[in-house]
Amino acid sequence: MAKVAMIIDKTDHVATCISAVKRGETVELMRDGRKSKKIKAKQNIPFAHKICVKGMKKGDQCLKYGLSIGSASKDIQVGDYIHIHNLESNRGRGDLENN
Amino acid sequence: MARRKTPAPRLRKTWFAFPRENGDVGARNYLLLLSGTLYANPTCERVTRTLRHSVAITHPLGRCQIAPDLKRTFDTLVAHGQNANAGAVIVIDHHREEGCTADEIAHEIAKTGKRVEAVNIRLSGGAIEATAQVTRIGMEMIRELTNERRREVPVSKLLLGLNCGTSDTTSGISHNKATGWVTDQVIKLGGRALLAETTEMMGGEDVLAAKCVRPALGRKIWAMVSKMEADILACGVDLRGSQPTGDNIEGGLSTIEEKSLGAIQKAGSAPIVDVIPYAQRAKRIPGLHVMDTPGHGGESITGIAGGGAQVLIFSTGGGHTINHPLMSTLRITGNPVSAKLQRDTLDVDVTDIFTGTPIEVAGRRVYDEVIDVASGKMTKAEILHEDNAFAITRVGPSV
Repeated sequence: MAKVAMIIDKTDHVATCISAVKRGETVELMRDGRKSKKIKAKQNIPFAHKICVKGMKKGDQCLKYGLSIGSASKDIQVGDYIHIHNLESNRGRGDLENN
Repeated sequence: MARRKTPAPRLRKTWFAFPRENGDVGARNYLLLLSGTLYANPTCERVTRTLRHSVAITHPLGRCQIAPDLKRTFDTLVAHGQNANAGAVIVIDHHREEGCTADEIAHEIAKTGKRVEAVNIRLSGGAIEATAQVTRIGMEMIRELTNERRREVPVSKLLLGLNCGTSDTTSGISHNKATGWVTDQVIKLGGRALLAETTEMMGGEDVLAAKCVRPALGRKIWAMVSKMEADILACGVDLRGSQPTGDNIEGGLSTIEEKSLGAIQKAGSAPIVDVIPYAQRAKRIPGLHVMDTPGHGGESITGIAGGGAQVLIFSTGGGHTINHPLMSTLRITGNPVSAKLQRDTLDVDVTDIFTGTPIEVAGRRVYDEVIDVASGKMTKAEILHEDNAFAITRVGPSV
């Protein structure tokens, strides 16, 4: 049985994997209880973590719940694991000089 | 998908509470032993071990605080004495903590009409004498409190606190969604809910502002989040690691915006009718109230109890032991791993959302528990004396 990932809003770049996914496994995307397309995971993704469903260029806003949850810190492709290694917050960044 | 064989019984519209003279109703009828200063903490703790049916509120404050900070302590202690879950109160003072004396605190609490006494350790002749005095007064108060009966009251008399903690990527799609469903039902029945945790509104300001019944309230939300963010920037650090916390990141949350958008699911779809400062009593307007508190769980739920909430849903990804000593705190999770690891303090399991149970079915389970707990059923952490979450947020240094 294919693994399932949940998309919250149709504009989202990410889906939440509702079980742990291994690299190369097929993930079936679901939104509002309806299945849509299938994608392949490019890395291992832990339970409830995010998989990319829409590619992004470095600097693009990453949407979840239909709203920005930060910027891509590198180019991200469909099937990539998304977390702090390729996504960064736009808020509370006292570490950045121009703030 | 779970199929319903028989229609679910109708949503209960009433609960059983202790009516108070000022129109409030309590979910508990405890004797509250309220420490005015850290040096009175041991007397409070000694007496609560002696007296069945009493709870103690202790803290490290009440001395050498700059004026606005001491006022915050004073206001928060008064607000807890006024919370309807306290049937009677004894305020205990060490010496005379100017600006935060037991007499002043007791005077404010007495305005609710409940019985309040103040005991000063020095004037009683010392710690042992004060312990005896508080024990004796407290025993008589508890005799009276335990002779009072609950009455049936409408859900409109409920102020439901909302808080989340040890959030992860299950939060925004499971337990916080179920909590949001409960919030909507309580408000539809004329009740109130109280959302807090300003840090976890960062990134969700527009969503919250759009729910406000007046644009001025939306501007207040923007202003309090901006102030929180400015305070963080002034420290010259990256917020990450503190918010989201290390355990949030391990749980899959990458940024504060992602955490916030999950956290505000607890608010459901109800209108925001007021935005209030820390630990200030919420007005009697049905709808969702928003309080300015930090994201720190103990400090935020202390603010919410000060707002007058009788019961709080603490929805948690990682599982939790958090429990307020006076406001009944029930813990729920949708994370199957946490449900196993933290079952000792888990009151409602909504992990079946991940195997197809609809949000309204899981939400209904949480709603029923809220009504039961409000009516007297004890939460696991309440039975275990997990009284770990009284923490007043500071606005200044110790001096």
